Amino acid sequence: MLRILNGFLVVTVIGCAFVLYSLEHASRQNERQIAKYKRQIAEEQENIKLLNAEWSYLNKPERLERLAREHLSLRPAEPQQFVKRADLAALLPERPAPLAPESDGDAIGDMLKGLE
Amino acid sequence: MTKLRGHNRLRLVMLGFMVCFAVIAARTGQLALLAPEAKRVAAPADVRIPRPDITDRNGEVLATDIKVSSLWANPRKIIDVDEAIELLTAVVPDMNTVELRKKLTKDKAFVWLKREVSPFERQAIHNQGVPGVGFRNETRRVYPKGRLAAHVLGYVDVDSRGLAGIEKFMDDQGALYTASLTDPEQMRAMPAQLSIDVRVQHALTSEIAKAVSHFKAKAGAGVVLNINTGEVLALTSLPDYDPNRPIDAQKQVNLNRVTTGVFELGSVIKAVTFAMALDLGVTDLNGRYDARYPLVVGRSRINDFHAQKRILTVPEVFLHSSNIGTARMALDVGLAGHKAFLQRVGLFERMRTELPEAAAPLLPKRWSKIASVTAAFGHGFAVQPLQGITVVAALLNGGRMVPPTFLKRDAATVDGFATRIIKDSTSRDMRHLFRLNALKGTARKAAQNAIGYQVGGKTGTAEKVINGRYSKNHRLTSFVGAFPMDDPKYAVLVMLDEPQPVKGTYGYATSGWNAVPAAGRVISRIGPLLGVEPKYTEEELQKISKKVTALKGN
Repeated sequence: MLRILNGFLVVTVIGCAFVLYSLEHASRQNERQIAKYKRQIAEEQENIKLLNAEWSYLNKPERLERLAREHLSLRPAEPQQFVKRADLAALLPERPAPLAPESDGDAIGDMLKGLE
Repeated sequence: MTKLRGHNRLRLVMLGFMVCFAVIAARTGQLALLAPEAKRVAAPADVRIPRPDITDRNGEVLATDIKVSSLWANPRKIIDVDEAIELLTAVVPDMNTVELRKKLTKDKAFVWLKREVSPFERQAIHNQGVPGVGFRNETRRVYPKGRLAAHVLGYVDVDSRGLAGIEKFMDDQGALYTASLTDPEQMRAMPAQLSIDVRVQHALTSEIAKAVSHFKAKAGAGVVLNINTGEVLALTSLPDYDPNRPIDAQKQVNLNRVTTGVFELGSVIKAVTFAMALDLGVTDLNGRYDARYPLVVGRSRINDFHAQKRILTVPEVFLHSSNIGTARMALDVGLAGHKAFLQRVGLFERMRTELPEAAAPLLPKRWSKIASVTAAFGHGFAVQPLQGITVVAALLNGGRMVPPTFLKRDAATVDGFATRIIKDSTSRDMRHLFRLNALKGTARKAAQNAIGYQVGGKTGTAEKVINGRYSKNHRLTSFVGAFPMDDPKYAVLVMLDEPQPVKGTYGYATSGWNAVPAAGRVISRIGPLLGVEPKYTEEELQKISKKVTALKGN
């Protein structure tokens, strides 16, 4: 009886050792992964900060103003360019009335036709 | 089965072991299965929590920390110097070959090769695999917007300790505020959000810069203040500096004129005297003051700059900026009352904001009759320009003095620290006077340059004290005003130091010819940014319709 018990215990010990070893191996691998991801996150955060700083630098109002002057025909808005919403219709340039979409037709297609 | 000797003892031992193992198994199971209560461990002190970024009110980054790598080498470990030089210069072309050779052949264990290598160069050098070289990480504070709002931001030293401006505030008085932004568990910090609006700041700075160069002034300054919340939307002082190169910041000319300097604001202070006289009921808008003759107080005679030599109504005193009339108002109020009012509006003490550089006012040594009379029109005492605009904002916003701030403020909390200095009805009268002055008085050019924004303002031309005397040719001109006047939202201050008469000003260099038109241009640029709806007077409508017809004709 003792022999059977001993045999059983030996097998159990070997089994436990194997399970334990594989668990430890897996957890170590997971730890390595975690460390790697943490490093990547930190790196990405650094990159984000750097890019934010660069974005802010590129968005300097001074620079935008210069670029806008060189490449666009836009100018700073003047007060007389503001109109009340109620007066808007009167100030818009005239254009043909939009075509009423046919009830059973292709509404978007009609609109596109209207644009042509 | 015969019982062996010691069989019972063996059982006993086995039982003992089994009990032990059972205990161990139970404990292991407990640890593994039941989640252990998280223990809070204090963060180790040597781990540095990053310095908070600084952003403007809309989240635009104004200051941030970036990691920079610096390249170093251990010359003793370099096997082939020629090869190392070749590899390094291949990826970093701006390194000097001769210098590099000198450094790498030294008999040392450590030499810096290049400070602040860009991430791309770093990767490239890394890929080259040169033995004996390495990188060391350093943190560097950068201000991506350069000069913009430099005087508010301040700057830091090489160890990222704040030396001026908000940066210093975050380390000193504002340490609690800074701590509230940080999250030590995440090793992160929320950005400190300023009240500054980058767009308004740029508009203000560029207009002041234009005025300074056009009028050949020595310096210029400007402030845009939210009249109801006390938030400073923009603060400019020219000449300025780039906080990325703090060496320039310590030069005397680059100091922040808005808070670090004190100036006699001249006629701008008359608005305070008017508010005092109106609030105490000494006079009202229908009152009259005799400005026919100079006012004699003791041995001094007080004259008017634009002498009218007649009896003026109260609005006329304001419009013509009559020293005599204003002085008489102060006399009517009396010495004690005048002093008490100036103390109430805080002009007699050092104004404290987040910016550590705050100058104390220069006050008359003895509060006498002549001191009171000259103080009535802004002579003989000097305050921070920021104090001037804060008081004027309080006179126009309904009479509530709100301490200015450089940090974003929740409008709902303002009631907590606002103090009433004048009655609402007095504030209404002041608005009327300010608006009138922009329509008919000395601040006309501001309204003309900012069509539709209903500007109101008061101008000031102070003679500077040179060698202990007031000099006729060294002037400090200023404009303090607000818009839109039917419900003032923003106050604007523009100040020019020694502007010169130029073509088109007919030999004049008083405020109405330089600071005022500049302020008008500032307002016309920031009005659309701040979402102020233009409303036109009859005259302005005619002007616009002419423009519109001209446009339609094309």
